[in-house]
Amino acid sequence: MARAGRAPWLTLQRREAIEAWLFVSPTLIGFLIFFLGPLIAVVFYSVSEWNLLSGEQVFVGMANYHDALRENPDFWHVIRNSVIFAIGLVPLNMALALTLALALSRPFRGVVFFRTVFFAPVVTSAVAWAIVWKFLLQGEGGTVNALLGYVGIDGPNWLREPDWAMAAVIVTRVIKMVGLNMILYIAALQAIPRDYEEAARLEGASGWQIFRMVTWPLLAPATLIIMVITTIGSFKVFDHIYLMTGGGPENGTLVLAYYIYEQAFEFFNVGYASALAMIMFVIVLALTIVQLILRQKGAA
Amino acid sequence: MTSLSLKNLRKSFGTAEIIKGIDLDIADGEFVAFVGPSGCGKSTLLRLISGLEYITAGDLFIGERRMNDVQASRRGVAMVFQSYALYPHLTVQENMGFGLKVRKVPAAEREARVREAAGTLKLEGLLDRYPRQLSGGQRQRVAIGRAIVADPDVFLFDEPLSNLDAELRVHMRSEIAALHARLGSTMIYVTHDQIEAMTLADRIVVLRDGVIEQVGTPRELYTRPAKLFVAQFIGSPRMNVLPVERVAQGLPAGVPAGASQVGMRPEHLRLVAPEAGMLGGKITVSEYTGAASMLHVALDHGETVLVVNNDEGPRPGERIGLTIDPRDLHFFDDAGDRRSFD
Ligand SMILES: Nc1ncnc2c1ncn2[C@@H]1O[C@H](COP(=O)(O)OP(=O)(O)O)[C@@H](O)[C@H]1O
Ligand SMILES: [Mg+2]
Repeated sequence: MARAGRAPWLTLQRREAIEAWLFVSPTLIGFLIFFLGPLIAVVFYSVSEWNLLSGEQVFVGMANYHDALRENPDFWHVIRNSVIFAIGLVPLNMALALTLALALSRPFRGVVFFRTVFFAPVVTSAVAWAIVWKFLLQGEGGTVNALLGYVGIDGPNWLREPDWAMAAVIVTRVIKMVGLNMILYIAALQAIPRDYEEAARLEGASGWQIFRMVTWPLLAPATLIIMVITTIGSFKVFDHIYLMTGGGPENGTLVLAYYIYEQAFEFFNVGYASALAMIMFVIVLALTIVQLILRQKGAA
Repeated sequence: MTSLSLKNLRKSFGTAEIIKGIDLDIADGEFVAFVGPSGCGKSTLLRLISGLEYITAGDLFIGERRMNDVQASRRGVAMVFQSYALYPHLTVQENMGFGLKVRKVPAAEREARVREAAGTLKLEGLLDRYPRQLSGGQRQRVAIGRAIVADPDVFLFDEPLSNLDAELRVHMRSEIAALHARLGSTMIYVTHDQIEAMTLADRIVVLRDGVIEQVGTPRELYTRPAKLFVAQFIGSPRMNVLPVERVAQGLPAGVPAGASQVGMRPEHLRLVAPEAGMLGGKITVSEYTGAASMLHVALDHGETVLVVNNDEGPRPGERIGLTIDPRDLHFFDDAGDRRSFD
């Protein structure tokens, strides 16, 4: 006999809600401790003057931001470097990734081998990668210059001259990371039905016309996402610079993420570094928002 | 003149031979349907004709010209895909004009030809829409419109109606028939639906495992199927097949030499009093479809046959007799080939 009257507190709906919260709680707690917590701390540090060595901490308002944006010429030099790095890296990376993807999106004998070859650097240790390239790019006796020598080119001392160093870190970074975008483009290409290409071929379109009039427009959403994540990634580049040039020569490869590291952990200007980190956060956030807006426009 | 001629056409993918020697002549202006079960090679054969696949062996002639080594775009064929293959980023107008654009036809002529084709297919109001804004039937029409704009010698259709619901399928079927009547072009139409093939085609090619089982008009295939496979594939509901002994005593003229199986179409069997017919049995199921009833009859010998009954008739559980005009019997030997008196 079921008793009518008082409904039990633990209804099915409540029970399922509790279960749901239990399932998301590990992630939620992790997010609060390891993301939101530090973020709030950085906001707090960025308005303080805090010397790690003495342990003193004073509130200074927007002084650190003012320093970066108005006083310190280093900051704009660093921003300029980061922009050059992005402008050099993003188009090169994407053009190469798309070319590889077009060549490797269809099955043929050995396709897995080639995909693996181009993807392997992505999962290779950044340290090993940088050390090997440092060695290859030596001015005297470096393999790159030796090869250039065969075709009569007298290569520069790559990592010792500011402009060449920038070019070298961009190219070596592209070679390391291009496999990731290649995979993204391969996935996007494979999602395009074969019928489109066949219909176009029957109507007399050349390979280039098919690419320009069918494939490329259909890749637009993928291109957009790849562009934004690659740009964001290029703004956040740290390990590669740290290992290959240490921001040198003559600060020629001093990019934002590395500059933040330098200020915080070499010069112990935690307040200033935090302000820089906030600026970087805003840049990345802006790029992300742009991406979301463009994606929604694309979906409409 | 756009007749087609296929001579011992073969196609292998790796070691698997999919098209195993097709000989076929198609006349100018003819509407030919390729039918057969899924996977029998219908699409592959169509793609060999279109040039989307290389021909492994044999010859393909379109008109007078051997086309084996001619590029797909130069064969004078247009194809309507099952998926429609409409470019999602282009409007209806741009989709239909795509082929002209890549062939550098001036914009004014392009527009005129697209408008003309759109007129024929009642698409004028939709020219600025994108494919995603169209219904299934409208997309289908745009796909056909794109083929018309190309002004091909031969139209190729690969199961063009299979993504539509039943009602629309019947409607589009009549539109395609009307289109053929109006244009008079040679058309090859692939389908696994024998009704579509029967209603549309001048001639039907029945394929099975990469070989032709029979070629003929719909009436020939229905009245004189050359193979047991064709007999059972063409006609709905499916032809009943029994061992020939079941009917032998009832036939004064006997059965053709070599015949081991006999086929009887459900619509040719007639109900008679129990013990009066060639066959006797008991009704197990009666499916009322409005126009007629489909009776499942368990024969005394153990087999089950289908019978189409037009009258309000006996109920499940009742015993009945069945008879058939001997001219409606189809005899086949053990290999499934037709046997007749001669
Ligand atoms: N590109 C291909 N590579 C390998 N096998 C294929 C290819 N295309 C079709 N086949 C095989 O050929 C057979 C016939 O396919 P298809 O012509 O599509 O059949 P249908 O259109 O009659 O259903 C199938 O077994 C299919 O797996
Ligand atoms: Mg098919």
